[in-house]
Amino acid sequence: MLSPLTRLLRGNRDLATLVICVLLSAIALSLPTGVKVVVSTIVSTPVLRPLKRLATAADGLTRLREENERLRRLAMELVEERAALVSQGHENERLRELTHFMVGFAAEERFDLLPATVIGMPGGRIIEGIEINAGAASGVQAGMPVVVPDGLVGKISSSVRARSLIEPLTSASSAVAVTIERSRVRGVVRPRYGGASELLDWQMDYVPARSDIRVHDRVITSGLGGVYPAGLVVGDVSSVDEGPLTMTVHVDIAVDLSTIEQVFVLKGLAAPSPERDAMMQTLLSELATEAAPSATTEVAPSATTEGGAP
Amino acid sequence: MRIRAFVVVCIGALILDTALAPEIEILGARPDFLILAIVYGGLGAGVRIPIIAGFLMGLTVDSELPEYFGLNALALSITAFVSASLLDRLVKSNILVQCSVIFGGTLLRDVIFYAAYYRDSLDIFGHVFVRYSLIGAGYTVAVGLLIHVMARLANWRAITGALRR
Repeated sequence: MLSPLTRLLRGNRDLATLVICVLLSAIALSLPTGVKVVVSTIVSTPVLRPLKRLATAADGLTRLREENERLRRLAMELVEERAALVSQGHENERLRELTHFMVGFAAEERFDLLPATVIGMPGGRIIEGIEINAGAASGVQAGMPVVVPDGLVGKISSSVRARSLIEPLTSASSAVAVTIERSRVRGVVRPRYGGASELLDWQMDYVPARSDIRVHDRVITSGLGGVYPAGLVVGDVSSVDEGPLTMTVHVDIAVDLSTIEQVFVLKGLAAPSPERDAMMQTLLSELATEAAPSATTEVAPSATTEGGAP
Repeated sequence: MRIRAFVVVCIGALILDTALAPEIEILGARPDFLILAIVYGGLGAGVRIPIIAGFLMGLTVDSELPEYFGLNALALSITAFVSASLLDRLVKSNILVQCSVIFGGTLLRDVIFYAAYYRDSLDIFGHVFVRYSLIGAGYTVAVGLLIHVMARLANWRAITGALRR
Protein backbone atom coordinates (compact mmCIF):
# COMPACT_ATOMS: atom_id res chain seq x y z
CA MET A 1 0.00 0.00 0.00
CA LEU A 2 2.75 2.41 0.91
CA SER A 3 5.23 1.44 -1.69
CA PRO A 4 3.54 3.12 -4.72
CA LEU A 5 3.15 6.37 -2.71
CA THR A 6 6.74 6.14 -1.55
CA ARG A 7 7.84 5.52 -5.09
CA LEU A 8 5.83 8.52 -6.30
CA LEU A 9 7.28 10.80 -3.66
CA ARG A 10 10.80 9.57 -4.25
CA GLY A 11 10.37 10.20 -7.95
CA ASN A 12 8.87 13.66 -7.44
CA ARG A 13 10.70 15.65 -4.81
CA ASP A 14 8.55 18.71 -5.41
CA LEU A 15 5.43 16.77 -4.62
CA ALA A 16 7.13 15.28 -1.58
CA THR A 17 7.99 18.75 -0.33
CA LEU A 18 4.40 19.82 -0.80
CA VAL A 19 3.11 16.77 1.04
CA ILE A 20 5.46 17.47 3.94
CA CYS A 21 4.38 21.12 4.09
CA VAL A 22 0.72 20.16 3.89
CA LEU A 23 1.17 17.61 6.65
CA LEU A 24 2.97 20.14 8.84
CA SER A 25 0.20 22.66 8.17
CA ALA A 26 -2.43 20.08 9.06
CA ILE A 27 -0.57 19.26 12.27
CA ALA A 28 -0.37 22.98 13.09
CA LEU A 29 -4.09 23.35 12.46
CA SER A 30 -4.94 20.41 14.65
CA LEU A 31 -2.90 21.55 17.62
CA PRO A 32 -4.84 22.48 20.79
CA THR A 33 -5.65 26.17 21.01
CA GLY A 34 -3.28 26.79 23.94
CA VAL A 35 -0.37 25.28 22.06
CA LYS A 36 -1.27 27.29 18.94
CA VAL A 37 -1.15 30.49 20.97
CA VAL A 38 2.25 29.59 22.41
CA VAL A 39 3.65 28.66 19.01
CA SER A 40 2.16 31.79 17.45
CA THR A 41 3.82 33.90 20.13
CA ILE A 42 7.13 32.14 19.55
CA VAL A 43 6.91 32.82 15.81
CA SER A 44 5.44 36.30 16.19
CA THR A 45 7.92 37.70 18.71
CA PRO A 46 11.13 37.53 16.69
CA VAL A 47 9.65 37.85 13.20
CA LEU A 48 6.40 39.78 13.14
CA ARG A 49 7.01 42.18 16.01
CA PRO A 50 9.81 44.07 14.21
CA LEU A 51 7.65 44.17 11.11
CA LYS A 52 4.70 45.46 13.13
CA ARG A 53 6.95 48.03 14.70
CA LEU A 54 8.01 49.10 11.25
CA ALA A 55 4.37 49.31 10.19
CA THR A 56 3.52 51.34 13.28
CA ALA A 57 6.44 53.66 12.56
CA ALA A 58 5.24 54.11 8.98
CA ASP A 59 1.73 54.73 10.25
CA GLY A 60 3.06 57.19 12.82
CA LEU A 61 4.99 58.97 10.10
CA THR A 62 1.85 59.24 7.99
CA ARG A 63 -0.12 60.57 10.95
CA LEU A 64 2.68 62.98 11.77
CA ARG A 65 2.58 64.22 8.19
CA GLU A 66 -1.18 64.65 8.32
CA GLU A 67 -0.96 66.46 11.63
CA ASN A 68 1.80 68.64 10.25
CA GLU A 69 -0.43 69.51 7.29
CA ARG A 70 -3.36 70.22 9.61
CA LEU A 71 -1.21 72.44 11.84
CA ARG A 72 0.13 74.24 8.80
CA ARG A 73 -3.42 74.99 7.67
CA LEU A 74 -4.31 76.10 11.18
CA ALA A 75 -1.28 78.39 11.27
CA MET A 76 -2.32 79.91 7.95
CA GLU A 77 -5.83 80.49 9.29
CA LEU A 78 -4.43 82.07 12.45
CA VAL A 79 -2.16 84.33 10.44
CA GLU A 80 -5.12 85.44 8.33
CA GLU A 81 -7.24 85.91 11.43
CA ARG A 82 -4.51 87.93 13.09
CA ALA A 83 -4.13 90.11 10.00
CA ALA A 84 -7.89 90.69 10.03
CA LEU A 85 -7.81 91.59 13.73
CA VAL A 86 -4.90 93.99 13.24
CA SER A 87 -6.75 95.57 10.33
CA GLN A 88 -9.90 95.87 12.41
CA GLY A 89 -7.89 97.36 15.25
CA HIS A 90 -6.46 100.00 12.94
CA GLU A 91 -9.90 100.70 11.54
CA ASN A 92 -11.29 100.98 15.03
CA GLU A 93 -8.58 103.47 15.96
CA ARG A 94 -9.13 105.44 12.76
CA LEU A 95 -12.87 105.55 13.26
CA ARG A 96 -12.42 106.67 16.85
CA GLU A 97 -10.16 109.47 15.65
CA LEU A 98 -12.67 110.42 12.96
CA THR A 99 -15.51 110.42 15.44
CA HIS A 100 -13.53 112.55 17.82
CA PHE A 101 -12.75 114.97 15.02
CA MET A 102 -16.32 114.99 13.78
CA VAL A 103 -17.77 115.73 17.19
CA GLY A 104 -15.03 118.12 18.28
CA PHE A 105 -14.93 120.05 15.04
CA ALA A 106 -18.66 120.39 14.92
CA ALA A 107 -18.75 121.50 18.53
CA GLU A 108 -16.03 124.11 18.06
CA GLU A 109 -16.84 125.40 14.61
CA ARG A 110 -20.58 124.81 14.49
CA PHE A 111 -20.31 123.12 11.13
CA ASP A 112 -22.53 120.43 9.76
CA LEU A 113 -20.15 117.59 8.88
CA LEU A 114 -21.19 114.82 6.53
CA PRO A 115 -18.98 111.71 6.79
CA ALA A 116 -18.27 109.92 3.52
CA THR A 117 -16.11 107.07 2.28
CA VAL A 118 -13.61 107.35 -0.55
CA ILE A 119 -14.66 104.99 -3.34
CA GLY A 120 -12.33 105.98 -6.13
CA MET A 121 -9.36 108.07 -7.16
CA PRO A 122 -9.40 108.83 -10.87
CA GLY A 123 -6.05 109.86 -12.30
CA GLY A 124 -2.62 108.36 -12.69
CA ARG A 125 0.49 109.47 -10.87
CA ILE A 126 -1.27 112.63 -9.75
CA ILE A 127 -4.51 112.47 -7.83
CA GLU A 128 -6.79 114.59 -10.00
CA GLY A 129 -10.03 113.70 -8.27
CA ILE A 130 -11.39 111.77 -5.31
CA GLU A 131 -14.74 110.08 -5.58
CA ILE A 132 -16.86 109.67 -2.44
CA ASN A 133 -20.09 107.84 -1.72
CA ALA A 134 -22.14 110.88 -0.69
CA GLY A 135 -23.98 112.97 -3.22
CA ALA A 136 -26.79 115.37 -3.86
CA ALA A 137 -29.22 113.08 -2.06
CA SER A 138 -27.28 113.77 1.16
CA GLY A 139 -27.17 117.51 0.50
CA VAL A 140 -23.69 117.62 -1.03
CA GLN A 141 -23.20 120.45 -3.52
CA ALA A 142 -20.35 121.69 -5.68
CA GLY A 143 -18.00 124.03 -3.82
CA MET A 144 -18.38 122.47 -0.37
CA PRO A 145 -15.03 122.03 1.41
CA VAL A 146 -13.85 118.53 2.29
CA VAL A 147 -11.65 117.84 5.31
CA VAL A 148 -10.09 115.05 7.33
CA PRO A 149 -8.75 115.27 10.90
CA ASP A 150 -5.29 116.20 9.54
CA GLY A 151 -6.55 119.12 7.51
CA LEU A 152 -8.02 120.29 4.23
CA VAL A 153 -8.53 117.82 1.35
CA GLY A 154 -10.17 120.04 -1.27
CA LYS A 155 -13.65 120.96 -2.39
CA ILE A 156 -16.54 119.25 -4.12
CA SER A 157 -16.28 119.82 -7.86
CA SER A 158 -19.39 117.94 -8.97
CA SER A 159 -22.14 115.95 -7.38
CA VAL A 160 -24.72 113.42 -8.55
CA ARG A 161 -27.39 111.65 -6.53
CA ALA A 162 -25.22 109.29 -4.48
CA ARG A 163 -21.69 110.26 -5.45
CA SER A 164 -19.50 113.30 -5.55
CA LEU A 165 -16.13 114.18 -6.97
CA ILE A 166 -13.63 116.14 -4.90
CA GLU A 167 -11.15 118.50 -6.49
CA PRO A 168 -8.15 117.87 -4.20
CA LEU A 169 -5.26 120.16 -3.40
CA THR A 170 -3.20 118.27 -5.98
CA SER A 171 -5.46 119.41 -8.79
CA ALA A 172 -3.79 121.86 -11.15
CA SER A 173 -6.75 124.22 -10.84
CA SER A 174 -6.69 124.18 -7.05
CA ALA A 175 -6.04 127.51 -5.32
CA VAL A 176 -6.64 128.06 -1.61
CA ALA A 177 -6.61 131.45 0.09
CA VAL A 178 -4.43 130.95 3.15
CA THR A 179 -2.78 132.78 5.98
CA ILE A 180 0.18 132.08 8.21
CA GLU A 181 -1.37 131.25 11.57
CA ARG A 182 1.36 132.96 13.61
CA SER A 183 1.93 136.17 11.67
CA ARG A 184 -1.35 136.36 9.69
CA VAL A 185 0.51 136.94 6.40
CA ARG A 186 -1.85 136.03 3.55
CA GLY A 187 -1.34 134.34 0.21
CA VAL A 188 -2.67 131.66 -2.12
CA VAL A 189 -1.47 128.03 -2.06
CA ARG A 190 -1.25 126.26 -5.41
CA PRO A 191 0.38 123.02 -6.56
CA ARG A 192 3.53 123.46 -8.60
CA TYR A 193 4.17 121.14 -11.52
CA GLY A 194 7.40 120.29 -13.33
CA GLY A 195 8.01 119.81 -17.04
CA ALA A 196 6.54 116.30 -17.31
CA SER A 197 3.40 117.19 -15.39
CA GLU A 198 5.16 116.05 -12.26
CA LEU A 199 3.87 117.46 -9.00
CA LEU A 200 6.85 119.16 -7.34
CA ASP A 201 5.35 120.74 -4.27
CA TRP A 202 2.90 123.43 -3.12
CA GLN A 203 3.78 127.08 -3.28
CA MET A 204 2.30 130.04 -1.44
CA ASP A 205 1.99 132.93 -3.93
CA TYR A 206 1.41 136.67 -3.55
CA VAL A 207 3.59 136.97 -0.43
CA PRO A 208 5.31 140.34 -0.20
CA ALA A 209 9.08 140.40 0.33
CA ARG A 210 10.36 140.49 3.90
CA SER A 211 7.11 139.08 5.29
CA ASP A 212 7.29 137.43 8.68
CA ILE A 213 7.30 133.78 7.61
CA ARG A 214 9.47 131.04 9.07
CA VAL A 215 9.97 127.39 8.31
CA HIS A 216 7.45 125.20 10.19
CA ASP A 217 4.90 128.00 10.44
CA ARG A 218 1.41 126.59 10.18
CA VAL A 219 -0.59 127.50 7.08
CA ILE A 220 -4.36 127.69 7.51
CA THR A 221 -7.26 128.83 5.33
CA SER A 222 -7.89 132.56 5.55
CA GLY A 223 -11.60 132.51 4.74
CA LEU A 224 -11.09 134.96 1.87
CA GLY A 225 -12.66 133.98 -1.42
CA GLY A 226 -15.73 132.46 0.17
CA VAL A 227 -14.97 128.85 -0.65
CA TYR A 228 -13.17 127.61 2.46
CA PRO A 229 -14.03 128.79 5.97
CA ALA A 230 -11.19 130.30 7.96
CA GLY A 231 -9.01 128.15 10.19
CA LEU A 232 -8.77 124.85 8.29
CA VAL A 233 -5.24 123.44 8.42
CA VAL A 234 -3.57 123.34 5.00
CA GLY A 235 0.01 122.48 5.97
CA ASP A 236 3.35 123.78 7.19
CA VAL A 237 5.98 126.02 5.63
CA SER A 238 8.82 123.81 4.43
CA SER A 239 11.17 126.48 3.02
CA VAL A 240 11.29 130.19 2.28
CA ASP A 241 13.15 131.88 -0.61
CA GLU A 242 13.56 135.66 -0.40
CA GLY A 243 13.14 137.57 -3.69
CA PRO A 244 13.46 141.30 -4.49
CA LEU A 245 9.72 141.89 -4.61
CA THR A 246 8.04 138.72 -3.33
CA MET A 247 8.89 135.70 -1.23
CA THR A 248 8.64 132.17 -2.50
CA VAL A 249 7.14 130.07 0.26
CA HIS A 250 7.05 126.29 -0.15
CA VAL A 251 4.35 124.42 1.75
CA ASP A 252 4.05 120.79 2.84
CA ILE A 253 0.34 120.01 2.86
CA ALA A 254 -0.91 118.30 5.99
CA VAL A 255 -2.99 115.57 4.37
CA ASP A 256 -1.55 112.51 2.61
CA LEU A 257 -4.16 112.31 -0.13
CA SER A 258 -3.07 108.89 -1.30
CA THR A 259 -4.05 107.19 1.95
CA ILE A 260 -7.32 108.81 2.97
CA GLU A 261 -10.35 106.55 3.33
CA GLN A 262 -12.90 108.63 5.22
CA VAL A 263 -13.57 112.31 4.65
CA PHE A 264 -16.00 114.92 5.93
CA VAL A 265 -17.92 117.35 3.77
CA LEU A 266 -18.49 120.72 5.40
CA LYS A 267 -22.08 121.32 4.52
CA GLY A 268 -22.31 124.74 6.06
CA LEU A 269 -22.89 126.43 9.34
CA ALA A 270 -25.29 124.78 11.71
CA ALA A 271 -27.97 126.83 13.31
CA PRO A 272 -27.13 127.83 16.92
CA SER A 273 -28.73 125.36 19.30
CA PRO A 274 -28.15 124.91 23.05
CA GLU A 275 -29.29 121.27 22.83
CA ARG A 276 -26.76 120.58 20.08
CA ASP A 277 -23.99 122.21 22.11
CA ALA A 278 -24.91 120.15 25.17
CA MET A 279 -24.96 116.96 23.12
CA MET A 280 -21.56 117.72 21.61
CA GLN A 281 -20.07 118.40 25.04
CA THR A 282 -21.44 115.09 26.33
CA LEU A 283 -20.03 113.22 23.37
CA LEU A 284 -16.66 114.92 23.77
CA SER A 285 -16.44 113.99 27.44
CA GLU A 286 -17.43 110.39 26.62
CA LEU A 287 -14.76 110.20 23.94
CA ALA A 288 -12.20 111.60 26.35
CA THR A 289 -12.96 108.83 28.87
CA GLU A 290 -12.80 106.18 26.15
CA ALA A 291 -9.47 107.39 24.83
CA ALA A 292 -7.66 104.34 26.25
CA PRO A 293 -6.54 102.00 23.45
CA SER A 294 -8.21 99.00 25.12
CA ALA A 295 -11.65 100.52 24.59
CA THR A 296 -13.64 98.34 22.20
CA THR A 297 -16.53 100.57 21.25
CA GLU A 298 -16.69 101.05 17.52
CA VAL A 299 -18.38 104.03 15.97
CA ALA A 300 -18.86 103.51 12.28
CA PRO A 301 -19.65 106.63 10.33
CA SER A 302 -22.42 106.30 7.84
CA ALA A 303 -22.47 108.18 4.59
CA THR A 304 -26.17 108.80 4.92
CA THR A 305 -25.98 110.13 8.47
CA GLU A 306 -25.59 113.83 8.80
CA GLY A 307 -23.14 114.18 11.67
CA GLY A 308 -23.92 116.88 14.20
CA ALA A 309 -27.17 117.90 12.59
CA PRO A 310 -29.56 119.19 15.22
CA MET B 1 16.95 33.61 -8.67
CA ARG B 2 19.42 32.62 -6.00
CA ILE B 3 18.27 31.42 -2.61
CA ARG B 4 19.63 34.44 -0.75
CA ALA B 5 17.89 36.84 -3.09
CA PHE B 6 14.71 34.83 -2.72
CA VAL B 7 14.96 35.08 1.09
CA VAL B 8 15.41 38.84 0.80
CA VAL B 9 12.41 39.05 -1.52
CA CYS B 10 10.29 37.04 0.94
CA ILE B 11 11.28 39.24 3.89
CA GLY B 12 10.56 42.32 1.79
CA ALA B 13 7.17 40.86 0.86
CA LEU B 14 6.34 40.25 4.53
CA ILE B 15 7.28 43.83 5.37
CA LEU B 16 5.18 45.19 2.52
CA ASP B 17 2.28 42.90 3.41
CA THR B 18 2.35 44.09 7.02
CA ALA B 19 3.23 47.74 6.59
CA LEU B 20 2.19 48.88 3.14
CA ALA B 21 -0.74 46.74 2.07
CA PRO B 22 -3.23 48.19 4.62
CA GLU B 23 -2.29 51.70 3.46
CA ILE B 24 -2.99 51.07 -0.21
CA GLU B 25 -6.34 49.33 0.07
CA ILE B 26 -8.75 49.87 -2.79
CA LEU B 27 -12.39 49.07 -2.09
CA GLY B 28 -11.25 46.97 0.84
CA ALA B 29 -8.97 44.81 -1.34
CA ARG B 30 -5.21 44.63 -0.92
CA PRO B 31 -2.48 43.42 -3.23
CA ASP B 32 -1.05 40.05 -2.20
CA PHE B 33 2.66 40.69 -1.87
CA LEU B 34 3.30 37.13 -0.68
CA ILE B 35 1.97 35.69 -3.93
CA LEU B 36 4.09 38.18 -5.87
CA ALA B 37 7.13 37.08 -3.87
CA ILE B 38 6.40 33.43 -4.59
CA VAL B 39 5.86 34.05 -8.30
CA TYR B 40 8.62 36.53 -9.03
CA GLY B 41 11.03 35.36 -6.36
CA GLY B 42 10.55 31.77 -7.37
CA LEU B 43 11.37 32.31 -11.05
CA GLY B 44 14.29 30.06 -11.79
CA ALA B 45 14.27 28.59 -8.29
CA GLY B 46 12.40 25.43 -9.20
CA VAL B 47 9.33 24.28 -7.30
CA ARG B 48 10.55 23.12 -3.91
CA ILE B 49 12.02 26.37 -2.75
CA PRO B 50 8.85 28.40 -3.47
CA ILE B 51 6.83 25.75 -1.60
CA ILE B 52 9.06 26.00 1.46
CA ALA B 53 9.07 29.79 1.23
CA GLY B 54 5.27 29.84 0.97
CA PHE B 55 4.99 27.52 3.94
CA LEU B 56 7.31 29.63 6.12
CA MET B 57 5.73 32.92 5.10
CA GLY B 58 2.32 31.38 5.76
CA LEU B 59 3.35 30.30 9.23
CA THR B 60 4.65 33.79 9.95
CA VAL B 61 1.38 35.35 8.86
CA ASP B 62 -0.55 32.70 10.80
CA SER B 63 1.05 33.78 14.05
CA GLU B 64 -1.27 36.76 13.87
CA LEU B 65 -4.26 34.44 13.84
CA PRO B 66 -3.55 31.70 16.43
CA GLU B 67 -6.96 30.07 16.07
CA TYR B 68 -6.19 29.17 12.45
CA PHE B 69 -2.47 28.63 12.91
CA GLY B 70 -1.28 26.68 9.86
CA LEU B 71 -4.05 27.72 7.49
CA ASN B 72 -2.07 30.33 5.60
CA ALA B 73 0.90 27.97 5.54
CA LEU B 74 -1.31 25.36 3.92
CA ALA B 75 -2.79 27.80 1.41
CA LEU B 76 0.53 29.34 0.44
CA SER B 77 2.27 25.97 0.17
CA ILE B 78 -0.33 24.67 -2.26
CA THR B 79 -0.43 27.95 -4.16
CA ALA B 80 3.35 27.99 -4.44
CA PHE B 81 3.35 24.42 -5.69
CA VAL B 82 0.75 25.12 -8.35
CA SER B 83 2.28 28.44 -9.42
CA ALA B 84 5.85 27.21 -9.54
CA SER B 85 4.81 24.03 -11.36
CA LEU B 86 2.92 26.02 -13.97
CA LEU B 87 5.76 28.49 -14.46
CA ASP B 88 8.18 25.59 -14.70
CA ARG B 89 6.23 24.22 -17.64
CA LEU B 90 5.28 27.48 -19.38
CA VAL B 91 7.23 30.39 -20.86
CA LYS B 92 7.80 32.04 -17.50
CA SER B 93 9.13 35.34 -18.87
CA ASN B 94 5.92 35.94 -20.81
CA ILE B 95 4.05 38.73 -19.15
CA LEU B 96 0.65 37.19 -19.84
CA VAL B 97 1.74 33.94 -18.27
CA GLN B 98 3.04 35.77 -15.23
CA CYS B 99 -0.17 37.77 -14.88
CA SER B 100 -2.32 34.67 -15.25
CA VAL B 101 -0.31 32.78 -12.66
CA ILE B 102 -0.46 35.72 -10.26
CA PHE B 103 -4.21 36.08 -10.75
CA GLY B 104 -4.86 32.36 -10.37
CA GLY B 105 -2.47 32.03 -7.43
CA THR B 106 -4.14 34.87 -5.54
CA LEU B 107 -7.56 33.37 -6.10
CA LEU B 108 -6.36 29.88 -5.14
CA ARG B 109 -4.87 31.12 -1.89
CA ASP B 110 -8.11 32.97 -1.07
CA VAL B 111 -10.25 29.98 -1.96
CA ILE B 112 -8.27 27.66 0.31
CA PHE B 113 -8.10 30.15 3.15
CA TYR B 114 -11.70 31.42 3.08
CA ALA B 115 -13.17 27.98 2.42
CA ALA B 116 -11.62 26.82 5.67
CA TYR B 117 -12.28 30.04 7.50
CA TYR B 118 -15.97 30.24 6.50
CA ARG B 119 -16.54 26.49 6.32
CA ASP B 120 -19.76 26.83 8.35
CA SER B 121 -21.24 29.66 6.26
CA LEU B 122 -20.50 29.25 2.61
CA ASP B 123 -22.74 32.18 1.62
CA ILE B 124 -20.32 34.52 3.37
CA PHE B 125 -17.47 32.72 1.63
CA GLY B 126 -19.13 33.43 -1.72
CA HIS B 127 -19.70 37.06 -0.84
CA VAL B 128 -16.12 37.58 0.37
CA PHE B 129 -14.75 35.82 -2.69
CA VAL B 130 -16.73 37.98 -5.10
CA ARG B 131 -16.41 41.19 -3.12
CA TYR B 132 -12.73 41.06 -2.14
CA SER B 133 -10.85 38.15 -3.74
CA LEU B 134 -11.51 39.08 -7.36
CA ILE B 135 -10.63 42.75 -6.81
CA GLY B 136 -7.62 41.73 -4.75
CA ALA B 137 -6.43 39.38 -7.50
CA GLY B 138 -6.81 42.14 -10.08
CA TYR B 139 -4.98 44.56 -7.81
CA THR B 140 -2.16 42.04 -7.32
CA VAL B 141 -1.87 41.58 -11.08
CA ALA B 142 -1.64 45.36 -11.47
CA VAL B 143 1.20 45.52 -8.96
CA GLY B 144 2.79 42.55 -10.72
CA LEU B 145 2.65 44.44 -14.01
CA LEU B 146 4.29 47.39 -12.35
CA ILE B 147 7.06 45.15 -11.06
CA HIS B 148 7.48 43.67 -14.54
CA VAL B 149 7.77 47.13 -16.10
CA MET B 150 10.28 48.18 -13.47
CA ALA B 151 12.23 44.98 -14.08
CA ARG B 152 12.30 45.75 -17.80
CA LEU B 153 13.54 49.28 -17.13
CA ALA B 154 16.18 47.98 -14.74
CA ASN B 155 17.00 45.13 -17.13
CA TRP B 156 16.39 42.62 -14.36
CA ARG B 157 16.66 39.47 -16.41
CA ALA B 158 15.46 37.04 -13.78
CA ILE B 159 11.98 38.40 -14.43
CA THR B 160 12.17 39.57 -18.01
CA GLY B 161 13.56 36.49 -19.73
CA ALA B 162 17.26 35.80 -19.45
CA LEU B 163 16.50 32.60 -17.63
CA ARG B 164 13.99 31.47 -20.22
CA ARG B 165 14.21 27.76 -20.79
